[in-house]
Amino acid sequence: MFADGLFMLFAVLAVLGAAGLVLFRHPMNGAMSFVITLISLAGLYALLSAKLIFALQLIVYAGAIMSLIVFIIMFLNIQPEDLPKEEGKLLNILGALIIVAPIGYFLVKIVNRLPNATTELLGNNFGGVKPVGLLLFKDWLVPFEIVSILLLVSLMGALLLAGKKKEVSK
Amino acid sequence: MIHSYLYLSIILFCLGVVGVISRRNVFTVFMSIELMLNSANLAFIAFSRVHESMDGHVLAMMVMAVAAAEAALALAVVILLHKHKSKLDTNVFSLLKG
Repeated sequence: MFADGLFMLFAVLAVLGAAGLVLFRHPMNGAMSFVITLISLAGLYALLSAKLIFALQLIVYAGAIMSLIVFIIMFLNIQPEDLPKEEGKLLNILGALIIVAPIGYFLVKIVNRLPNATTELLGNNFGGVKPVGLLLFKDWLVPFEIVSILLLVSLMGALLLAGKKKEVSK
Repeated sequence: MIHSYLYLSIILFCLGVVGVISRRNVFTVFMSIELMLNSANLAFIAFSRVHESMDGHVLAMMVMAVAAAEAALALAVVILLHKHKSKLDTNVFSLLKG
């Protein structure tokens, strides 16, 4: 019962934060409400007994990635008159909801066909650092290496794009 | 009980798609994409709880790494575009329009 209450709390917070992200005009307000969504998602991961992902969500996502985004938003020093006008925003959102509704309905139909399962907390160190790490370095070694190459490439691309322009030699 | 997690994942994904389609601010579009990645993560974790195997956790970590790479590159592109046009409107960036 206590876990159900926690689930409802986190679910409502996550949906409210996502709605705020879509509705707020200034990206800083949107980023702050998105942080609420990320933190409540971390709570949901803990309820699903994913201990390592819970910590990673808080440290990497809500900590590192979101602080990078907030840093860039503050770095660009956006004034309210720099923001796009977006006159018919609510109408656009309504149209997008109508476009998305069939996709959502389809996905709900799929989920309804799945067998229901309990989500009680699992013991036996399920989702702890050691079992997940063993799995990562045994069965998922090649994808892990590919991800490391991806991160290197994106680092070099970011340096190339946003770095200082060199003087063109005559 | 697992159904409610999957319904929540569907709701978050649909809100992310709505943000990408309907908003014109570059940052909001970018964070909506992150929201969609997060809803996929929630579905991964929920399914890995159903099957009591930890492959979903590893996949969620991969998704987080992809999101970090995407954040670095997308923010570099946003800084570059802001330097050129000093606007944050996706409708301004239509150089490739025929």
